[in-house]
Amino acid sequence: MKDRTHGGLLSRRNFLKRSSLIPLSGLLAQAPAIGADARRATFQDQVQAAVIGFGPQGRDIAATLTRIPEVDLAAVVDTYNVMLRRAQRSAPGVATFEDYREVLDNPDISTVFIATPTHLHKQIALDALSAGKHVYVEAPMASTIDDARAMAQAARDNPNLIFQVGLHARSHPNYRSVFQFIRSGALGKATMTRSQWHTKESWRRASPNREREIAQNWRLDAEVSAGLINEVGTHQIDPALWFLSKRPVAVTGLGQIMLWDDGRQVPDTIQAVFELEDGVPMLYDATLTSSFDAAYDTYSGRDSTIMFRDHRAWMFKEVDAPLLGWEVYARKDKFYKETGIALVANATQLDAQDISPTEDDPNLETPLWYALRDFIDNHAFGPYPPAASYEVGFQMAVITIKANEAVVQGTRIDYDDALFEI
Amino acid sequence: MGTVRLARMAMACRFELVLQGEDEPWLRAAGEEALREIERLEARLSRFLPASDVSRINTRASEEAVAVEPRLFDLLKQSLHLHRCTDGAFDLTVGPLMQAWGFYGDGGHVPGADELTKARLRTGMHLVELDEEHRTVRFAHEGVALDFGAIGKGYAVDEAVRVLREAGVERAFLHGGTSTMYAIGKPLDAQSWNVAVVDPRSPDEPVAVVAIRDEALSVSAVSGKSFEAEGTCYGHVLDPRLGKPVRGALLAATVSSSAATADAISTALLVHARPLAGYRSLIIRPDNEGSPPRRILHHGILPHPMPEDILPPAPALNGHSQRTPFSL
Repeated sequence: MKDRTHGGLLSRRNFLKRSSLIPLSGLLAQAPAIGADARRATFQDQVQAAVIGFGPQGRDIAATLTRIPEVDLAAVVDTYNVMLRRAQRSAPGVATFEDYREVLDNPDISTVFIATPTHLHKQIALDALSAGKHVYVEAPMASTIDDARAMAQAARDNPNLIFQVGLHARSHPNYRSVFQFIRSGALGKATMTRSQWHTKESWRRASPNREREIAQNWRLDAEVSAGLINEVGTHQIDPALWFLSKRPVAVTGLGQIMLWDDGRQVPDTIQAVFELEDGVPMLYDATLTSSFDAAYDTYSGRDSTIMFRDHRAWMFKEVDAPLLGWEVYARKDKFYKETGIALVANATQLDAQDISPTEDDPNLETPLWYALRDFIDNHAFGPYPPAASYEVGFQMAVITIKANEAVVQGTRIDYDDALFEI
Repeated sequence: MGTVRLARMAMACRFELVLQGEDEPWLRAAGEEALREIERLEARLSRFLPASDVSRINTRASEEAVAVEPRLFDLLKQSLHLHRCTDGAFDLTVGPLMQAWGFYGDGGHVPGADELTKARLRTGMHLVELDEEHRTVRFAHEGVALDFGAIGKGYAVDEAVRVLREAGVERAFLHGGTSTMYAIGKPLDAQSWNVAVVDPRSPDEPVAVVAIRDEALSVSAVSGKSFEAEGTCYGHVLDPRLGKPVRGALLAATVSSSAATADAISTALLVHARPLAGYRSLIIRPDNEGSPPRRILHHGILPHPMPEDILPPAPALNGHSQRTPFSL
């Protein structure tokens, strides 16, 4: 047991810490805060679920579901038998199928997780909703606006079914905490955002089977892929727009094949500049040619800049910014010549548990776990609109698919309001 | 036929992969997927990443049974088996001891008697309860902490090799930090992948050249992370039974069909400082006054070059292994 002898002492320092950390506490924006006991008590039956598509993301979903006790992974679907063999390692004894319709025909399965290539999401999602299944679909939702719209319409027309898009930041306590923090005015006037995703890899997949290899390399096929900005950028652009509560009115893009000139048509290096409402610029940069500085996001304003790296946040204050008070007690981390103030979600809860509120939560989970936890909670307490709803997923699909057009064409594209109509 | 070389930092070391074949983009794609698998495993096995499976277990398992995904549960079972095979010389629960000796920080220090006693009370696989039916793990004592440092790299190599084989790769060599490696097939210009094992004190001369093909080699050494106190050098490999850094051997190498097994066994060999029945090995013991500058015990891995007076193979500890002893 932890020594709680001093937990109740309300020293001046503790008082200051507790009172001043309140703005950082993770207020859950759209999902109820539920204790573990209460959660279990309200689940009538185990959720019987199937994962459709057992590539890396499908495997992560399956592994994560084993840590959510209210779900039984009943089936795995993949068109490739190697993946079904892997499924037996990840979930021994699980039923496996090559055709997702077999899962949809099973009345015992209430829920499907769709983790197939993006361009295959639509038909599976529509069929799943028609079959009365709750749907979790990985982000991006689709690779064409028509597909995304068809999915959003089907989700809208089935309000008794849960439809959640895999935009994980929407469920993550650190992002929710920063959302509240930015909304409370921490940046001052927002002036710009910048995100990058840098890695060095070909983005190609290998298979001993030629036909399978073509199917696996859908990301490199411009006929079905909306490129880096849709497949990767979605997860970074969504939090920026969410935090600032703005939509882009235009995007200018540039894309090149700088290193992997192996016959592909999809650029390996892209830049996009979004103009948000009120004129705030948002820069996005992704490359498969260099891993330098990996991935991060910054949100800048008159008073401070907030940076996300590895799902953790820091604030860098301007010298002339007003004092907030609590930052005196916060943990500081050095980034070359800058000093970042660590933004810790649920700081007051940690403090109450005698865990240092300046350190990261030792019970931190993966972003996927939070997203799946939200989705499964919705089975017991919903259906209510998930944080990553069909509207959010559709809007993001429109934004990134049009941005990909701008990247490929090297041009500027306006976002007409009509594009966002479901 | 061409050669593709790839590398990635993971698990605090450099993983390097050499692939040979006709289609270089295809080889690169297969290699990249294998290295991504290693990164994924690091995210699960690292005790330093707060959202990893291992961090979650270490934080919660003394208070409740923690559900573990099937592949990790299998690794826990394998680790328990290897613990028994090595008479406790391989042990996942060395975390508190590593902490007490300061090896999780930048340097290291000799712990006080009380600190060491406390850490030893928190060490031992008997404190790790595995529930096969519910696939959970629970600690019998607060403060127990798993550390996959002695098997994680090998496990990652095994899983990466699985990815390469599934993709159809027939010639490849993968190592993690030059200590744990696996060879798929043979290289274009030889019948096997030949690995030089060097004495850390004189790295220019190999003490053995080990030929591997479709098998793993692991080398553990006390060099690397270490500190000196009162004229004594303390290395980061601990004897979990004594709670102290190992002293009996400088280096140990072994060959196995599994890199995870090789990884764990080479650590155990370093702890025992003598061969284990059922495992090919080569061990370098430290200098002893009046004896040769180093003593090499070989048990299925021949020293190189062979000394003029060929040493007999060293007898092996029986351990609890039921494996059939190798044949030379």
